[in-house]
Amino acid sequence: MARTPKNNQISPYGGNVPSNIESALGRALNDDWDEGIFESRSDRFRDGIRRWWPYYLMMAPGLIYFAVFHFLPVWEAKLAFEDLRIIGPNIWVGTKHFVQLFASPAFFDVLWNTLIISAMKIAFVFPLPIFLALLINEVRNPRFRQSVQSVIYLPHFLSWVVIAGIFIGALSPSDGAVNDLRDIVGLDRRAYMTDSGAIRWVLVWSEAWRSSGWDSLLYFAAIMSIDPQLYEAAEMDGASRWQKMRHITLPGIVPTIATLFILNVGLFLNAGFDQVFNLTNDAIRDKIDIIDTYVFRLGITGGQFSLATAAGLFKGVIGMLMMLSAHFLSKRLTGKGVW
Amino acid sequence: MASQNRTGLERAEGVIIVSVLLALVVITVQPILNLLAISLSDPANVPGMSGLAIIPEGLSFDIWTLLANHPAVQRGLLNSVFITLTATLLNVVFTSLMAWALSRHQLPLRRTIFIMVLITIVFEPGIIPDYFVMRRLGLLDEYASVIIFKMVNAWYLIILIRFFEEIPEELIEAAELDGANPFQVFWRVVLPLAKPALATITLFYIVYHWNDFLRPMIYFNDQGKWPLQVVLRQFVLVGDKAAIVGLESMNNYTGASQIDFKAFRAGMILFTILPVLLIYPLILKYFTKGTMSGALK
Repeated sequence: MARTPKNNQISPYGGNVPSNIESALGRALNDDWDEGIFESRSDRFRDGIRRWWPYYLMMAPGLIYFAVFHFLPVWEAKLAFEDLRIIGPNIWVGTKHFVQLFASPAFFDVLWNTLIISAMKIAFVFPLPIFLALLINEVRNPRFRQSVQSVIYLPHFLSWVVIAGIFIGALSPSDGAVNDLRDIVGLDRRAYMTDSGAIRWVLVWSEAWRSSGWDSLLYFAAIMSIDPQLYEAAEMDGASRWQKMRHITLPGIVPTIATLFILNVGLFLNAGFDQVFNLTNDAIRDKIDIIDTYVFRLGITGGQFSLATAAGLFKGVIGMLMMLSAHFLSKRLTGKGVW
Repeated sequence: MASQNRTGLERAEGVIIVSVLLALVVITVQPILNLLAISLSDPANVPGMSGLAIIPEGLSFDIWTLLANHPAVQRGLLNSVFITLTATLLNVVFTSLMAWALSRHQLPLRRTIFIMVLITIVFEPGIIPDYFVMRRLGLLDEYASVIIFKMVNAWYLIILIRFFEEIPEELIEAAELDGANPFQVFWRVVLPLAKPALATITLFYIVYHWNDFLRPMIYFNDQGKWPLQVVLRQFVLVGDKAAIVGLESMNNYTGASQIDFKAFRAGMILFTILPVLLIYPLILKYFTKGTMSGALK
């Protein structure tokens, strides 16, 4: 059994979500809802403990982990409503930091950058793995196909530190591969990394380099699950390669496309912390500074913890609303939720 | 599915498809081969090398020797290996235990726990509250902070639960009738059956911890605890040569007269991705083989 979850939680922020984990969770939410409610509560409780305590023992480390590292931070997030004091308890200041945040033009700049970078990625990166999967599916020689797949999945497993290193090198105006190529075809050399017109495109293409190969795996898996008899029937009718792709393959993967598209929209505010953080520099920071990097700079670098927490909380709440809407929309449209 | 009468058009299409895919393979691999070529070249030739080069100019292992003897790199490598191994071990043990318990349908409070896990996926309060939790626990500048901050990944937990749920109930009941307690059932029945799934999440946890730079960077003030990714970042992206080495002391390690920054960068990047390249065949084997061989039918 090889499932193909997208390993998306590789970074705490850069996340896509394994799309085809449809439903351990969904099932659990619908199961075991209405059994045995008429038994005496205390009897059930005693039996329950006798039978289930070993399982709770097994879960204990995990449960403690979730409580301490996922729920305690939610409590700590109250810092957004407080002034931090070195000595003594923090002072409750209500929405002061939010007011300050929404009054600062810097916040709206990073919000705008976040939205535009996400939109560019959805417009230009999202379709690539679909085309790629369709192309790979047209290769007849299985060895060639597997070799191609083995190679194009690789960048997904490299960290953004490494990829940033590679891209900064490849885009270097003096001896980068891209500019050496431009030289050969007679174009001027360009300093992409410090060019405020080009830098967002650097984000788009580095994202494409890293993820389109791996993401094509999801669509390819969807193509593989299409009934081969459909293709055989079409061949009997003399359908061309193009017609089969248009009328069988593409409709077959539309549900996958829809689910992933909705999911990507749900993750709109995650414009890619790791990526921006490693590719940014002083010359172009104002063009690609996103909410997450803003929070980092404000808080971790700048020590304005309350303001940074407020910005992070804003993103967390809006992100949650978008994610939930995405889930229910997806469930409505395709019958499959995000989780 | 090969059609019998291939027309000229179909053949032309085939050529185009193969060329596009080959171009993508080149785009993916060339940057890495370029780094390899630069790192294996005679350092004196490196400044003039093109980004398109994939063959070393004057074979030399100076850079690799220098990296291998470099204190900051050695330290980073040790830290990375230590953090990755301990964290992955904890991850796999606790994720699979929790998944096994949650895969039991009659477990009381199962639904509540699921909803809790789900909440953590949907709502993230951000890095600052995380930082304050670590500070409150007194774990800043401790290896433990980066080892446990992601002890159970909610997505991998769900993958494993789903896998465990597919284990036939009869097998578990038979073991229970033989008098096995839940731990024994887990150890003797569930784990052996779940090997492919466990291998997959193990590999992904390894890659996750190996590649993480953000948390170590935030939680470790002490540069001696930095893993390789943070060392790489500091050196290559921040360009902070002095903080980590100082070029003069670098030269002492090889005796080479001049080590170019470009060459060092190339070697350092490769050095950092080497372990990922080493386990990559395993990743392909466990994770994608099923999908790819599905194509062979």
